Formats: sequence, structure tokens, C-alpha cells
Amino acid sequence: MKATSDAKIPLPNRLGIKGWAWAGRYKIERYLYTLHRITGVGLAAYIFIHLIANGFRLGGEDTWEGIMSAFSNPGIKVGEYLVMAAFIIHALNGGRLILQHMGLTLGKPNPPIYPYVDSMRRRRPLTWIMLAVIAALAIYVLVEFVISGA
Amino acid sequence: MRETHFKSLQYLTGIGIFFLVGLHLLISHLSSGEPEAWSSVAKRAASAGWLTIYILILIFGIYHVMHGVRGIVLEFSLPPTAVKALNWAIIFIGVAIFGYAVYIPINAYMV
Repeated sequence: MKATSDAKIPLPNRLGIKGWAWAGRYKIERYLYTLHRITGVGLAAYIFIHLIANGFRLGGEDTWEGIMSAFSNPGIKVGEYLVMAAFIIHALNGGRLILQHMGLTLGKPNPPIYPYVDSMRRRRPLTWIMLAVIAALAIYVLVEFVISGA
Repeated sequence: MRETHFKSLQYLTGIGIFFLVGLHLLISHLSSGEPEAWSSVAKRAASAGWLTIYILILIFGIYHVMHGVRGIVLEFSLPPTAVKALNWAIIFIGVAIFGYAVYIPINAYMV
């Protein structure tokens, strides 16, 4: 009974928001959590700006063309690239998290023979492949849509 | 169990957003031509297919964002009464944003 009532009291979050940036000497997956959070918050902020900008559509053609010309400057172009990069990172890391939470990347169980290979190390090749794909896509978008399209 | 269902919905909406926003980005922002010109915007606004895609993106996107924000705030070890207040605030803000955002494409489609 005691365990049930205690379970409702959350454990104290000692690190608070500082834990996003530095939680100790953890492995890369812990810092991918930080990156997932930063890109998520950034994308959420962008979506709200995008929705407000879309609202100008209701003002008709002149209002729309006015706001679009205000947005056509190099600073906005850089911002759009960052949004694309954040989308790529958040989407691919989210896919990795879904696969891992569903246990699809754990592999077959191994006998506990030293040196032990924990599940995190078994999953690590997927993490490196995902990071390579993120880098490739980020470079592709930069070259194809920002540098060539400028 | 309720939290598991919310989390499963977070995954499903995330997958949905990946495909729908990917489509939206490829056609509305990254394609050749002038996708942001008034004529292109008006043409898309008159399409029932695009209206459906915009509404689905809004439903999936707003759920995903609001559930994500709730997860971040819950990490700060809130007492049960504050969690209840947070849940209602998240629902209220989510519905309000959806109401504002869905009005724009519906209005554009009707005109």
C-alpha cells in the first residue's frame, strides 16, 4: 500500500533546466535527448510564427504579397534552413526513439559473459547511422535549396 | 495506462507529421516555381485535398506539440493538483490554437 501512495509523489528534479545542457558524463544518447528537446521547442516556436504569418492571408493579395516581401531577406533564409535542419534531426531521432521504445533494435538476448554488452551499446550503430543520415540530409538541403536556390 | 495511450498517440502523430509536413514542405516551400506567390497560394486554398492535409497537420501537430510541452513541464516534479491544472491548461490552449489556425484554411477554401 505504501509503495502505491509513494508512487504518486514525483522524485525531485534536482538538475532542473540545467540538466538539459549538462547532466554529467553520459553517452551520446543522453545528449541526443537534449538536441531532441531543443529542436522540438524551436519547431514549436516556428509553427506558431508560421500560423500567425498564415493569418495575413485573410487580408487579401496585397497584404499577403507585403508580408512575403518582408520575409524575403537573407536572415529569414538562414532561419528557414535552421527550421529544415531541426525538422530532419527531430524526425530521424524521433524515429530512432520509437524503434527503441518498441524494443525493435535490441537484437537477440546474449548470455552474460564478460565483457558485458549492454542494450545501449548494441543499439549504438543505429545512432551513428542516424547521425550520418542527418548530416547528409542537412548538407543536401543546404546545397540544393539554400546555396543553389539563392 | 492512460499515459501509455497518450505516449502512443505522440508516436502516431509524430509519424503522421513526418509524412504530411514532408509533403507540405516539398510542394509548398521547396518546389521550383513560386509556391509562395498569391496565385499559387489561392490555387492550393481552393483544393479540398489541401484543406484536408492542412487540417490533419493541425490536429497531429497541435497534439504533438502540446503533449511534448506537457512532458517537459512534468519533468519539474509538480504536485498532483498542479498536474491537473496543467492538463486543463494544455487542453484549453491546444483547442484555442486549433480554432484560430483551422479558421484560416477553411475561410480561404470557402471564399
